[in-house]
Amino acid sequence: MVELLSGYVMYSLSYILIFVALATLLHLQFGLTGIVNFGIVGFWGLGMYVFGVSLLQYNFPYIVSLILATVLTGVVALALGRVILDLDNQAILVATLAFATVVRYIVTTEKWLTRGVLGLGTVPFPFDLGQYSQFGFFLIILLVTIALLLYTYKLGSSPYGRLLASIQDNEILAQSLGKPTFREKLIFFTITSALIGFFGALNASVEHFLIPHVLTTGVTFTVWIALILGGRKRILGGLIGVIVTIGVLDFIIETYAPIPTAYAPLVPNLKYMIYGLTLMLILIFRPLGILGEKKSTKILKVIRKL
Amino acid sequence: MSFLRDTLVLGLIEAAPLVLAAVGFTLIYYLNGFINVAYAENITLGAYFAVVFNSMMGMNFYLTIIPAAVLSGGVSVITYLIVFKPALNRGVGRTEMIILSVGLSFFIRYASRLVFGADILHFDIVSPSYLSVFGTGITSIQITALALVGVISVGLYYFIYKTNYGEMMRGLANNEDLAMISGINPTKVSLLIWFIAGTAGGLAGIFYGVFSFVSYSLGWNLILIIIMITIVGGIGNVRGALIASVGAGIIITAVTLITKPLYAEIALLIFFIGVLKAKKVWG
Repeated sequence: MVELLSGYVMYSLSYILIFVALATLLHLQFGLTGIVNFGIVGFWGLGMYVFGVSLLQYNFPYIVSLILATVLTGVVALALGRVILDLDNQAILVATLAFATVVRYIVTTEKWLTRGVLGLGTVPFPFDLGQYSQFGFFLIILLVTIALLLYTYKLGSSPYGRLLASIQDNEILAQSLGKPTFREKLIFFTITSALIGFFGALNASVEHFLIPHVLTTGVTFTVWIALILGGRKRILGGLIGVIVTIGVLDFIIETYAPIPTAYAPLVPNLKYMIYGLTLMLILIFRPLGILGEKKSTKILKVIRKL
Repeated sequence: MSFLRDTLVLGLIEAAPLVLAAVGFTLIYYLNGFINVAYAENITLGAYFAVVFNSMMGMNFYLTIIPAAVLSGGVSVITYLIVFKPALNRGVGRTEMIILSVGLSFFIRYASRLVFGADILHFDIVSPSYLSVFGTGITSIQITALALVGVISVGLYYFIYKTNYGEMMRGLANNEDLAMISGINPTKVSLLIWFIAGTAGGLAGIFYGVFSFVSYSLGWNLILIIIMITIVGGIGNVRGALIASVGAGIIITAVTLITKPLYAEIALLIFFIGVLKAKKVWG
C-alpha cells in the first residue's frame, strides 16, 4: 500500500492532474472566451521558476513563494494581454508563442538566477509526512483541480460566463450592448494565466528538480491536443482528453507495455507522431472533440418555450 | 563604424535564408488564408535531403541544391493534397487550420527524427575560403548563398507580379469564385503555389544547414520569426516580406552583437507587437 502512495504512481497521478487543470484553464481561455493562448508553457514555466527561485535562491517560505509565483505570472499576463488582446487571433497566437520562447531563453541563459541547465533543486513538499508526503501533496492538487472544475461548471451558467461566451461569438455585438469586452477579456486572461502559473508552481514540488528542458513547446501542444480531443466547448473536455493522451500514451504505454529496450528510444517519437495525427484527424472529422456540442443551457430552454 | 558594418553584412547573411522562407510562407498564407506552421518541416526536410545527398551519398554540395529543393517542393504538394485541401474543403476555420498545421508539424518533425535520428548532421564541404567584405570576415559559401538568394528572390518576384500564373494566384487569393468564373483552374494554381513555396522553404533550410548544422528542430526554431516577418510585412506581400526579413536579420545581428540572443528574441517580440499596433492605429 505504501508503495502505491509514494513513488511513480503518485507522481503520474499528480502530473496528470496538473495537466487536467491546464487543459481546463485552456478551455476557459480558448473554448469559452476564444483567446488563442499558444504560450501555456511560458506562463507555466514562469510560475514554476518564480516559485523555485523564490524558495531556493531567496529562501522565502513555501506559501509566500506560491503566492509570489501566481501574482507575478498574473502581472506578466496583464502586461502582455494589455498589448496583444485587441489584435486578431493569429497575432495573439504568434505573440504568446514568442512569449513562451522568451521565458525559455531567460530560464536557460540567466544562470545567476535560475542556474540554467544545471538545474534548480531540490524543491521540497510543503509539509513532511514521511513516506506519505507525496500522497498528501497529491490530495492538495486533487482538491485544487476539483475546485477549478467546479468553478468552471458554475461559470458556464452564470451571467459572467455568458458575457465571456458572447465575446467569442460576437464581440462587436457585445460591445454595442455596452459591455466592456476588452477589459473583461483582459481581466479573465490575467486570472486564468496566473492560475496556469500557480499550477506551474505546484508542479515544481511534483518534479523536485527544475531544468529548462522541461519547458518545451511539447507542453503547450500536449495541453492543446488534450482539450481539442476531449472537446473544447465542454467542461470535462480537458479531463477526458488528458486521460486519453497523457494517461494512456505517456504513463500506461510507456510504463507497462512490453517494449524491447532496443526500441524504447523510438517511443517518444512515435508518441508525438500519434499526437499530431490524432489532432489532424479530430480537427478534420470531429472538430468539437469526443464530447462534441455543448448541450443547450437552461436559459435557451426557457427561450424556446416562450 | 565597424559595428555598423558588421551589423549590415552579417545581418544580410542572416536574412538571406529568411527571405526565401518568408516569401514561400507568405504565398501559402496569401493563397489559403491560414498560418501553415508545418512549413517549418518543409525547411527542415530540405536541409535533410541535401545533407543526405551531400555527406552520405557524397554529392557535391552545389549539385544537391536542386534535387533537394524539388523534393521538398514535392513534400509541400503532398501535405497540401493529403491534409490541407480536404480540411479546407470541409470548412475548417482559420484558427483551427493553424492548430491542424501544428499537428502536422509535430507529426513530420518526429517522423524525421525517427528516420534521421536526433543527432545533428553537418554538410561535407571542402574547406570554404574566408573572404573579407569591407573588413568583415565571411566565407565563400555565405557569399554564394547570398548571391543565389538574390537571384531566386528576383525570380520569385518576377513570377508573382509579372507572369500569368502570378496573376492567377493573386486573383484566386482575392476572390475564388470570380477567379473560377474567369477560367482559372484553382487546383492547378494551388498545386503550383504549394510547390514553389515548398521549394523556397527547402532552399532556406539548405542554406541554414550549411551555415551551421542540420537537426530535426531546424525549421521549428525558425518558424516563429518567419511568421512574425510575414505578418509584419503584410500577408502575400513579397516586397514586405523581403524588407521585413532584412530588418529582422539586422535587428537579430545588432542585438546579438551588443548583448546576447535572449534580448534579440525580446526585441523581435516587441518589434512585432509594435508594428501591428502601429498598423492598427494608422490603418
